[in-house]
Amino acid sequence: MSADKAKDKAKTYKLSLKGSAKSVAEFFEYSINTILYQRGVYPAEDFTPVKKYGLTMLVSQDDQVKAYIKKIMIQLREWMIGGKISRLVVVITSKDTGENVERWQFDVQVLSKPSKKSSSKKTSDKENAQPSEDAVAPPAEKTEAELQVQIQSVFRQITASVTFLPELDGNCTFNVLVYADADSEVPMEWGDSDAREIQNAEKVQLRSFSTNSHKVDTLVSYRMG
Amino acid sequence: MATAVSTPLKSHMGMFSSRTAGGRLPLTPSPRTRTNALVLSNHSSPFTPERKDSDDIKSKSTYGGNLSSHFAKSKSHRDSPKSNIAKGVQTPRRALELGVSDFTLTGTGCKTPASSRSRKGALRQKSTKTTLSYGDRFIPNRKASSAIATSGSGKLEAGEKRPKTSGGESSVILASGVDDALAALGSLSINDDEPTYSRPSPNTVAYQDSLASACGVSLNQRILAFKPAAPESSKPVDLRSQYNRPLKNANAASAQFRRRIATAPERVLDAPGLVDDYYLNLLDWSSGNQVAIGLERNVYVWSAESGTVSSLLETSSDTYVSSVKWSDDGAYVSVGLGTGEVQIWDVEEGTKLRSMYGHDTRVGVMGWDKHTLSTGARSGLVFNHDVRISQHKIAELVSHTSEVCGLEWRADGAQLATGGNDNLVSIWDARSLAVPKFTKTNHKAAVKALSWCPWAPNVLATGGGSYDKHIHFWNTTTGARVNSIDTGSQVTSLRWSPHYREIVSTSGFPDNSISIWSYPTLVRNVEIPAHETRVLHSCLSPDGQMLATAAADESLKFWKVFEKKAGASSSAAVSGASGKADMVKQMTIR
Repeated sequence: MSADKAKDKAKTYKLSLKGSAKSVAEFFEYSINTILYQRGVYPAEDFTPVKKYGLTMLVSQDDQVKAYIKKIMIQLREWMIGGKISRLVVVITSKDTGENVERWQFDVQVLSKPSKKSSSKKTSDKENAQPSEDAVAPPAEKTEAELQVQIQSVFRQITASVTFLPELDGNCTFNVLVYADADSEVPMEWGDSDAREIQNAEKVQLRSFSTNSHKVDTLVSYRMG
Repeated sequence: MATAVSTPLKSHMGMFSSRTAGGRLPLTPSPRTRTNALVLSNHSSPFTPERKDSDDIKSKSTYGGNLSSHFAKSKSHRDSPKSNIAKGVQTPRRALELGVSDFTLTGTGCKTPASSRSRKGALRQKSTKTTLSYGDRFIPNRKASSAIATSGSGKLEAGEKRPKTSGGESSVILASGVDDALAALGSLSINDDEPTYSRPSPNTVAYQDSLASACGVSLNQRILAFKPAAPESSKPVDLRSQYNRPLKNANAASAQFRRRIATAPERVLDAPGLVDDYYLNLLDWSSGNQVAIGLERNVYVWSAESGTVSSLLETSSDTYVSSVKWSDDGAYVSVGLGTGEVQIWDVEEGTKLRSMYGHDTRVGVMGWDKHTLSTGARSGLVFNHDVRISQHKIAELVSHTSEVCGLEWRADGAQLATGGNDNLVSIWDARSLAVPKFTKTNHKAAVKALSWCPWAPNVLATGGGSYDKHIHFWNTTTGARVNSIDTGSQVTSLRWSPHYREIVSTSGFPDNSISIWSYPTLVRNVEIPAHETRVLHSCLSPDGQMLATAAADESLKFWKVFEKKAGASSSAAVSGASGKADMVKQMTIR
């Protein structure tokens, strides 16, 4: 009986982790689209507004871009659900010079870790102590509405960041990097890369949001001058 | 050197690489190479792609032939770190520490591979030996040795527990490093006794640990890039124009496709003597494209085709025209009088066909359904007349307690809506007229404006008077109110567009305007300040494009509010007209 209960609990947890991973992945998808739109990587006409998170989000309608992002998202979702990812990076590169001009970094932390699953491995590159969960009292479930408000504010900040980010020349392309566990299964299309950091970058930490199982921090770094 | 070439470096680092790292490479198979690469690239970026390491490993096999020459070369290089320290040559500090640290790694460092991989016992012993032999050849930096000491202690734990410290992680790497080393050895088919090749394991540990702590890099992590290049942008983007755009650019785009509504009247006619009375209905446009207007005691017919005006009738001096309505076929016009008499006139002949009596108060509103004429009077009574028979009164609809000022048949004749000064909207089923099917009390003022939706037969729009100012939309099947608009002024008439999903309302005080609303979004598409005083009546042309409004300022204005796009077929209007033409022959008014 009690064993059954525990099993049920574990199941619930698994589901919520999976659901959380999916919503984080979805957040990434909209983030990539928003960045592409806001930073003018693709022309604004390519984007169409959709209602999401109580906001009007702009999503690319270009078939190629859509397919490109979709391919990324399929793999990303898999990794997210497996808990293999600790960071997602969108690098904007100048096509003329090949320089990295802007770098959007989304750090993912898996919050609670009731089982010894390797899938929920924490990132060790965080100096800050992670918010440790009380083993006795599980954290209060975050409601959908609270999550939406948090995500809203992140997107508002991304949108607002065009005010301080240096103007891009409009001739840019982008790459998506992930920081994955060494033991992740890596499909053909993904390959090792350097961090594509920007030298002498100015960094701005944006808001964070957290689901019941994940915490996502957002940081943008950009080249000065 | 593969590492030096493939990793972007600052110039002074290049110098460094040629001395220390360059010298090391042949001595150390894969693990060492990797750490060298990390050291070097550290200064440009803390992360070094593993791909490059594997390239190095592959390229290593090419050394196989002349290893000895490499050793010879490396021997001379190996002294350089020491001499650097002695002379105080400027060598980056961190790199120096890393370079030196290997040599204090006697006991602790080598244990790790042994504990994690037992099969490398032999290897471990050799490495211990060689490391010791080199140990006295360098002056260990104090800092470096302490770093090694801590990392070494971490590794002792790592063998048993593998905690999540950097030491624990590096032990994994170390193990793999040893594997790599063995693999490299195997591929090179070099004798196991060769001491040089057993060294890497402790050195690797040192490098990895120091690096991990120095750079804050987690070594069990890979940075993966989605390799396919992002699709090309269809055109260069000028962000400045993008920022300057209104935020809702999509709506702006759709604005281009939104139809333009002419806000100026197409034509203005004088309507002298138009009685300024909200409760009357003095304007109607026939299916034959003629406009009838009641001006005091006269009814005039204006032909929209020819633009000619003719006076149809003049009442006796003791009364006035209170309502006019064309029959569906456009051949007859019914005229309600202040006395309660209803006359039917043949417009082409200019003759009165019959008079129908029954109401003893003025007839303010009328409506045709084929041969049935419904008349609403000030008494609140509504009569249905069959105009073909002498005993014309076929039904008495009792619901309103005050003047009936709005009356509309549904196009199919199945339902009749009436509105009155008692603020009621009554919806009648044509098959049972004893009681209204629904009586709606939502309006707070007299209801004159009534209109049936042409594309959704069970939707009725009703507009209330100056105290109410609302348009309500009803589902007349269920009786439910489905939508409402607060127009902000008295609603004097409502007309649905037959072509657009829109409805036009005319208003009295205070706006005296024409408003066009999208339905069901209820967005006001346009508001035209139409008249100087309240708009009393409106009607649509038979093709549904033009709206005629009559106002208390004694003018009759024509507005092209529902102009059809060029090329759009007007077949519906044509067929409708022809259908009505057929009907003319069927109806005989006595």
